[in-house]
Amino acid sequence: MPKAEGSDAPATAASRSTEPKSKKTHRDTAYDSGKTSTGLWWTLFGLILITTAATRFYKLDQPDHICWDETHFGKFGGYYINRTFFFDVHPPLGKMLIGLFGYLDGYNATFAFEKPGDKYEDYPYMGMRAGCAIMGALLVPLSFLTVWEMTFSLPAATFAGVLILLDHGMLTLNRYILLDPPLLFFISASVYTTVKFHNQRHRAFSFPWWFWLSATGAMLVGSVAVKFVGVFVVFLVGFRAIADLWEILGDLSRPVSYTVKHFMARALCLIALPIVLYMGIFYIHLRVLYLSGPGDGYFSSAFQTHLEGNFLHNASTPREVAYGSLLTLKNSITGGGYLHSHMHLYPAGVGAKQQQVTTYSHKDGNNRWFIKKFNKPTPLWNSTDSIELVRNGDLIRLEHRPTRRNLHSHKEPAPVSRKHYQVTGYGENGTGDANDVWRLVIEGGAENEPLETMRHKFKLVHYLQNCVLSTTKKTLPKWGYEQQEVTCNPNLRDAAAVWNVEDNRFPRLPNVSFSAYKLNFFQRFFEAHAVMFSGNAGLKPKDGELTSRPWMWPINLRGQFFSAGEGVKIYLLGNPIIWWSNLVFMAFYLTLLVVKSIRDRRGIISSPHQKALQERALSACGWLYIGWLLHYVPFWGMGRILYFHHYFPALLFSSMMSGVVIDYLVESIPPLLPAGIRNSAYHLLVGGIVSSLIYSFYLFAPLTYGMSNGPSTEANSTMYGMRWLETWEF
Amino acid sequence: MGDTEVKNRKVNRNKNKNEKNKEIPNPAVDPRDEGDGESTPEALPEELTEEPILKKSASPKKSEKKQRKAGSATAGQSLADLPTLAVTCHFNLLPMLLFGVALATRFYALDQPNSIVFDELHYGRYAGLYQKQTFFFDSHPPLGKQLLALAGYLGGFQGDFKFDKIGSSYNASVPVFAMRAVPALTGSLLIPLVYMIMLQLNYSQWTAALAGFLFLFDNALLTQSHYMLMEPIILFFAMSGVLCVLKFRALERSGNAQAHSYSLRWWGWLLSGSIFLTCALCVKYVGVYSYLLGLALVGHDFWEKVLGNLSLTKKQVFGHAVARFFAFFVVPLMVYIGVFYIHLTTLVNAGPHDSAMSSAFQASLEGGLSSIVRGQPLEVVHGSQVTLRHAHGSPCWLHSHAANYPVKYADKRGSSHQQQVTCYVAKDINNWWIVKRPNRTDLAVAAPLDRISHGEEIQLVHGITGRNLNSHNVAAPASPTKQEVSCYVDHNVSMPAQDVWRVEITNREEIGDVWHALESMVRLIHVNTSVALAFSGRMLPDWGHNQHEIVGDVMINQPNTIFNVEEHRYTRNEDEKDRQLELMTTDFIPLEPVVMGFWEKFFELQIRMLFISNENVQNHMYTSSPWEWLVLTRGIAYWVSPDSNAQIHLLGNIFIWYSATIALAAYCSLLVFYLLRQRRQCFDIHEEAWNQFRTTGEVLLLGYVFHFLPYFFVDHTLFLHHYLPALAFKLLLNAALVEHLYYLTRLVFAKQFFNWMCVLIVLTWMSGILMVFNKFLPLCYGLGPMNATQILDLKLRETWDFIVHKP
Repeated sequence: MPKAEGSDAPATAASRSTEPKSKKTHRDTAYDSGKTSTGLWWTLFGLILITTAATRFYKLDQPDHICWDETHFGKFGGYYINRTFFFDVHPPLGKMLIGLFGYLDGYNATFAFEKPGDKYEDYPYMGMRAGCAIMGALLVPLSFLTVWEMTFSLPAATFAGVLILLDHGMLTLNRYILLDPPLLFFISASVYTTVKFHNQRHRAFSFPWWFWLSATGAMLVGSVAVKFVGVFVVFLVGFRAIADLWEILGDLSRPVSYTVKHFMARALCLIALPIVLYMGIFYIHLRVLYLSGPGDGYFSSAFQTHLEGNFLHNASTPREVAYGSLLTLKNSITGGGYLHSHMHLYPAGVGAKQQQVTTYSHKDGNNRWFIKKFNKPTPLWNSTDSIELVRNGDLIRLEHRPTRRNLHSHKEPAPVSRKHYQVTGYGENGTGDANDVWRLVIEGGAENEPLETMRHKFKLVHYLQNCVLSTTKKTLPKWGYEQQEVTCNPNLRDAAAVWNVEDNRFPRLPNVSFSAYKLNFFQRFFEAHAVMFSGNAGLKPKDGELTSRPWMWPINLRGQFFSAGEGVKIYLLGNPIIWWSNLVFMAFYLTLLVVKSIRDRRGIISSPHQKALQERALSACGWLYIGWLLHYVPFWGMGRILYFHHYFPALLFSSMMSGVVIDYLVESIPPLLPAGIRNSAYHLLVGGIVSSLIYSFYLFAPLTYGMSNGPSTEANSTMYGMRWLETWEF
Repeated sequence: MGDTEVKNRKVNRNKNKNEKNKEIPNPAVDPRDEGDGESTPEALPEELTEEPILKKSASPKKSEKKQRKAGSATAGQSLADLPTLAVTCHFNLLPMLLFGVALATRFYALDQPNSIVFDELHYGRYAGLYQKQTFFFDSHPPLGKQLLALAGYLGGFQGDFKFDKIGSSYNASVPVFAMRAVPALTGSLLIPLVYMIMLQLNYSQWTAALAGFLFLFDNALLTQSHYMLMEPIILFFAMSGVLCVLKFRALERSGNAQAHSYSLRWWGWLLSGSIFLTCALCVKYVGVYSYLLGLALVGHDFWEKVLGNLSLTKKQVFGHAVARFFAFFVVPLMVYIGVFYIHLTTLVNAGPHDSAMSSAFQASLEGGLSSIVRGQPLEVVHGSQVTLRHAHGSPCWLHSHAANYPVKYADKRGSSHQQQVTCYVAKDINNWWIVKRPNRTDLAVAAPLDRISHGEEIQLVHGITGRNLNSHNVAAPASPTKQEVSCYVDHNVSMPAQDVWRVEITNREEIGDVWHALESMVRLIHVNTSVALAFSGRMLPDWGHNQHEIVGDVMINQPNTIFNVEEHRYTRNEDEKDRQLELMTTDFIPLEPVVMGFWEKFFELQIRMLFISNENVQNHMYTSSPWEWLVLTRGIAYWVSPDSNAQIHLLGNIFIWYSATIALAAYCSLLVFYLLRQRRQCFDIHEEAWNQFRTTGEVLLLGYVFHFLPYFFVDHTLFLHHYLPALAFKLLLNAALVEHLYYLTRLVFAKQFFNWMCVLIVLTWMSGILMVFNKFLPLCYGLGPMNATQILDLKLRETWDFIVHKP
């Protein structure tokens, strides 16, 4: 098959040896301008390393209070140290790393991380900050190396590194106790390892080949296990793998079995290995966090029995539910509360003025209900009648124990969700009317199967109205004590209509320990994911709330305050010069791509030098552009609340792309000029670009390192005159 | 044709052999390839001789299905030399027959049930509003509704019927038959259309007829075509567009493409294609996917046939590019604007959805706001009484009332305890404010008028309570990062009034510096603290009567800070009591209506349609997700009879839906298989067959993907009927795959027996489809009294929620 010469040449050369020395050989043959030597390579790389370290660690301890989301992630990191179970919508790896950094620094997780702006005082927070800063700093050398491996052009690699190095957004975001430094690190490491692996393709199945392949797999796990948005880089690597396999398949000098072998190797390292590692991370997560904590309520009753200190831990109840049992019913949706009622009526104008029924997420005596047959009063606990179990399909009534009113529904609109029916407590001393009758339907239960505590999930279908007892999770106004609304939903498939028995008291049945309900690792693993996903989907912007939208990000329209209180102000904002030129270079790349495709199509021949240059730039940019698209476009379709910092993975790709495009420009513009000034034009261009980048970094540096108080409109402000866009809020 | 095929094969085989010598062949396939290449050409003539005999034996009318069977046997063999007469005869007969049956099924009992079915509630109402020339706002473009309205107009509809709820009966004034005839007719026309599309894709007329058959006997398409709904219309336009584009492609790809260029036919197909596709888009925005498909096909051909054709000069290539640009960008734009031109010039009366539009827009409509604002003074002056409307986003008016902010909020922050200022979504007497210069005390307007201009400072006095609009460095109630806005009350706590605001007119390039009612977009900048009066989007709790919060925002340059004067009059009385009385009683002298140009109205409507989604049907009972559409998990209840369980429920023909899903999977696997094999230089099928298979993918699979995939990324509530455009492509793909499988059987098995087996299987499948269609027919028409058992008998899947409300 036709193979791009330009893209092949550097790769073959590289595959001969990984040492920089031999890289010179191919440069001579292809399009060398004689500017690269090993020494220069190391000098530039070293310079970049030093500058990176300097910028990343300068004033790292400032501000010495909680900035922005540090309040969450610092706290979560601490939970790993004191073993407390918590809930977060992101997978655990990032927080585990933060916890580890803190632990190494001797942090004992006693700081409360209450709200942004709280002073750290004597607590050792620098370990966590430094850990994150190191991960964030690694982005720069990784981008340098990635672009080097893609193009073997020193200017391209240097520009890519410098663009990441001098961006205030990258710098600010990567200095605090946040998930973004590990996330960005793993993403760029995945890209680097996969490019490195690609360059080993001429010595398949050698040790380095296996090494880089499995390293790719490991880095992919890292990205996904920090935040789910890391999955986009998995797609990128996946596409790359498919493209590679397609190439291998087309090589007719090899048998098909050779392709199969390649496929198996990739399946092993990019699918099987990551899955194992990912499960391993969750295994550690669930093992380490064994103490009851603030996250319990998000999980099912059975899950909670695992947590030491939770009242369900080591508790015991009868396994089956019998008529006359005293129950608490928990809603099975994420964060669902207990069915609750209290001595207060619905106010006038909100349906019938009967007793309120709500869900309430705290344990309370008002959550207790007697279960009784629809046509018999509650049997007494000390009676000697035979015990009758509650079975699937039975008609039942629920009697609220403290007020002795029955759970009731009727054709009145519910208080908030007007399309549902109102649910009330009705009757006196357990006597009500026909609207108190509910049918018990166990999810997936066999006919006449007895209802079991904890294990069974069931729905309560109103016998007359044919609607299900459900919660809408909408908060009631003040008259309902801001508890959550309970309604009877005519849509029988409502996902929020599923309940389970959590506490079951009936002295005439033997108690069994809750350990009987324990889940195995896989059940807990899947439940944790279900909870995370529903938590993520639940992060919807409120009506009319001003949220960050994806179109605002690439143009750097609006930043985000990290620290806004008294003292130093930190504002997360990209370096406008870099961000805006990224867009220009991207447009340039697309134009170049279109022009070149049309020229090829029309059979117009370019000079070999020009052709090689173009192909080098285009092939590298192609993958980076796909990476950018994958990390940016999906946000347009996301319904959840979005933030400015979601753009940074995409920025990584667009900055690397700019590096490649700048390299293409500085290589191809000077040759158009008269021979005499070519060399100086080259140097002028490079020097001009680099110095303008450095100058812009200097100009906006206070964004990162702390601005003085007061608005930027005042002449004595550090940011005087720097508010180029009115939307920037400093 | 038979000859060329044989030749092709030989060439193919030789090529295969050459290639295979170089590589390690897959032993399982190789011998098969060889043997097959020899056997088929011999078998071909035999079959051909048999065919005509068969055809004669079948009586033409009664056993239409038999014919199809026989024909589909011929079909795959590239129909060499059948007698010309027979071919033309079938060509005409088949589609006519299908069309006849389509008309019969679509028009059967068309005016039954004589009550509102599902979304007829909306579309019927809109059609009625067209008769009354009353403006309404809908987030879909108007073409479909215009067609309904036209049919209604021709049927004598006056628009007097009130479409109140699903199920209420129509009275005699509603021409139900005429209005339902639009979808019924377009739905019937679909069938000959798909027939022609399949022919255009080089499939035999039997396959084409099979495609028509699938469309004809799918219950969902029938149900949808039987009532005033948009899907049949959009499908009709989309399919016509695709057909025209395919015709155009045929010209492009024919041997003498050059000769055809710019011919009448060339322009005809190109333009009609783009116009039809744009019409689809003008019915509902999802039509854009059909348009994109057309664009992709034409673009692809341009790339291949024009740009890749090096015999064309630069000038010629450029000419072709311009022609296509004109057809696919300029013409659609004209059509789209034209449709809206009709829409906006027809609907001149104020109606129910006015408040979704800007004040100026509303004022340009007859009745409604125009009757209120007509004759009101234009220039805002010292002493003007105004209502200030939040100009972008959700409509609300600056409001205050005699209640103070609570001393402490729930989160223990304190407030100024001054009078609340909110944004209220309803017209209210408390929305009135009086514009006042800081240094003047009199309020009555007298000549000469003291006009307010851009950059000048004013105070705003609340009409009823007489307090001044004020802001100060206190955190706002619901947005603690913003500044509180209040009506100033002096609590004697050394908190001076800061009640001077500067007027900034944002559109003064167009309107001029003087503040005009309605037209000027105004920001009010607080002079002391430089914040802008802004709508924060948050809602106040009970103490603020759940009205919207108004804050002072440092971010000045944002849409939420823009207000405009909506109602406006001059103060006549100095006395406060009289002023209040004046506010309560309104009396206006009409002067002249506000005129708003078409383009202004057009762009405003576009922006509102694209950015304000009013379809937030959360928690609807019959919603479904894209995955569920593949296996028909849920239908939609459209209508239920009040006296029995007879009902209309949108459900596809489950047999067709399942086979189409399987066919889709089969097609994709085959495609992957062929591609992988070709990568290894193994060519399993003939070039002709491969080209046909590939083109099918380009048109049908791509069409399916375009119409289906986007639904995974949208955020609003989805229903089964959203799937129908994608389904149309899937059904065509299904028919295409049947022919391809038949071709494969002939390729693999030499024996005639297997061909017959194939035909038999297809026939059985088709009769199965007919049976299922028949079983669910009552749910399409909603006919006949049905008891609970009959309904439950239809409940093949647990998740189908039919309504059982009678025994």
